[in-house]
Amino acid sequence: MLEVKNASKIYGGDTNKVVALDNVSITVNKGDFIAVMGPSGSGKSTLLNIIGGLDQLSSGEVILDGKRIDNLSENDLVDIRRGKLAYVFQQYHLLASLSALENVLLPLTFGGLNGGNERALEMLVKVGLGKRADHKPSQLSGGEQQRVAIARALVNTPQLILADEPTGNMDQKTGNEILSLFDGLNREGHTIIMVTHDPDVARHAKEIVFLRDGQVVDRVTQ
Amino acid sequence: MKLYKLVAKDVVRRKKRVLYAALGVVIGTMTVVGILTIALAGQERITVQLEKYGPNLSVVPAISNLDMKLGNLSLGTLTVGENYISADKIPQMQQIADEEIRMGFASQGIRFQDDGGNIATLAPKLFVNTKVEGISTMVVGIQPEAEIKIKTWWKIKEGEYIQKQDQAIVGTVAASLLQLKVGSPISINGDKLTIAGILHETGANDDYQLFIPIDTLQKAFNKEGLVSSIDIRALCNACPAETIADALNKEIAGIRAVAVKQIAETEMGMLEKINRFMIAMAIITLAVGLFGVINTMMTSVHERIKDIGIMRAVGASRNQIIKIFIYEALIIGIIGGILGYIVGSVLAYIIGPLLLEGTTVHYVPIYFPVALGLAILVAILATTYPSFLATRIRVADSFRSL
Repeated sequence: MLEVKNASKIYGGDTNKVVALDNVSITVNKGDFIAVMGPSGSGKSTLLNIIGGLDQLSSGEVILDGKRIDNLSENDLVDIRRGKLAYVFQQYHLLASLSALENVLLPLTFGGLNGGNERALEMLVKVGLGKRADHKPSQLSGGEQQRVAIARALVNTPQLILADEPTGNMDQKTGNEILSLFDGLNREGHTIIMVTHDPDVARHAKEIVFLRDGQVVDRVTQ
Repeated sequence: MKLYKLVAKDVVRRKKRVLYAALGVVIGTMTVVGILTIALAGQERITVQLEKYGPNLSVVPAISNLDMKLGNLSLGTLTVGENYISADKIPQMQQIADEEIRMGFASQGIRFQDDGGNIATLAPKLFVNTKVEGISTMVVGIQPEAEIKIKTWWKIKEGEYIQKQDQAIVGTVAASLLQLKVGSPISINGDKLTIAGILHETGANDDYQLFIPIDTLQKAFNKEGLVSSIDIRALCNACPAETIADALNKEIAGIRAVAVKQIAETEMGMLEKINRFMIAMAIITLAVGLFGVINTMMTSVHERIKDIGIMRAVGASRNQIIKIFIYEALIIGIIGGILGYIVGSVLAYIIGPLLLEGTTVHYVPIYFPVALGLAILVAILATTYPSFLATRIRVADSFRSL
């Protein structure tokens, strides 16, 4: 379903060149749960951003469902974000002025779908926050905020969930709760790519891709 | 959830920032509203005076010493003693005035219905200070039909206007001083007259005077063929009152013609100069306000880089981001417009009388939509560039910059 071919990303000019990705190729099939591991600066977040169209490639291709998405215009990328892909970030990235429910509604709002309250509430119940729908992010714990972010990612039934260190800001117990949420989603058939530097977190994935200095150094199926 | 609801929630959360942005709009709108309101009040005052003290010209004997005042407009002085204008000169004045008006219209290319008859209205008056009911009173001899054409503001409070040679009307103050009612008989130097009507208060000398037909007064005092002054009303604002005055002064000896308009125009000219200066100030203030709002909106974009990134990441298009900023600009514009109109009107009310003596300032409802429109325009103009910047933000960069 997703193919990354010879992807390279170079930051900066000739004198201060930083190679974030160096000729990376990976294939992701439907239903996969892949963890991308590596030390900081290994290019794992860059890889995720490029797959999601948040950042542009210097060379190479990203193919989603048989279509190249690395060279899409901003307007076409909007369509991809509105259905095929969803993100979960380390910093949760919720809008502070909106309640949990409204944050989950956000993708539907931008997609031009009015209403959808039931769907959004259903997603909040699914992540175990049905009773906190009216709370603002500032009234929620880190783990709860991440649950809201996951509900927001799920509301458009995306084909691929991209998670960047989703448990990076949490203690182990809360982190495990979030990870078991991801396990459940994967069992339901969601395809997940998760970036992490923590081997315990990576253990939840079916497959681990090791990156170092922008190159894939190992692939382990567990 | 609709997009505007998202904006409304955000505005509520960042209300201080939004009010600060609105302040820039308020300062600009306030100045414009204040200046327009004061300018209008000033113009209205002069227009009212022009309208009220309507005779475009006043003709008095060349030697005079009585202060002639119409409201705030000084018309020079007039002697009530033995200085008179001969009534023989009236037809000549009529001819000169009509000729000048015709020439004035012709030179401006204006066509009008000209039956060759009189165009200007000449209202001769004879002033006699005499005892009425034992009290010293200014009795004014008038030509009733001509006088009412000139004193368009005259309104009859009780009774009716002069219809016959033996009828009189009386100013409201004089009526109460002399204890006169409609139908009261009076005696002017032996002549018997009846009060036909009482005038509404005019705020001018008319309130203290008694008006009777000029022929009757001339006969009573043996002043046949003599008048004290002549008011001349030309047709309209475009009429060459000064030219008429010049022509009269040149061609007829022993009289002095003054154009009321001349005095009013000098005042209007001064006012226009002040207005132009103030409007220039208002435009500068508006521009300063505009940059203030641009500055605030730029800060707003920077503060919200992360929020914009989040919205983009969950599917917001560039147009939607622009819409969000425009909605915010609308809110800023509406708040700024309402506050600007209120503050501007209040300021005009306070400052107006200090700037233009004797002027009362009222709030002008028509300036409310003007203020609102202007405020929204400024707010949206100020938002254009910042919102364009906001759409240029790359999602990955917005998160990285934190």
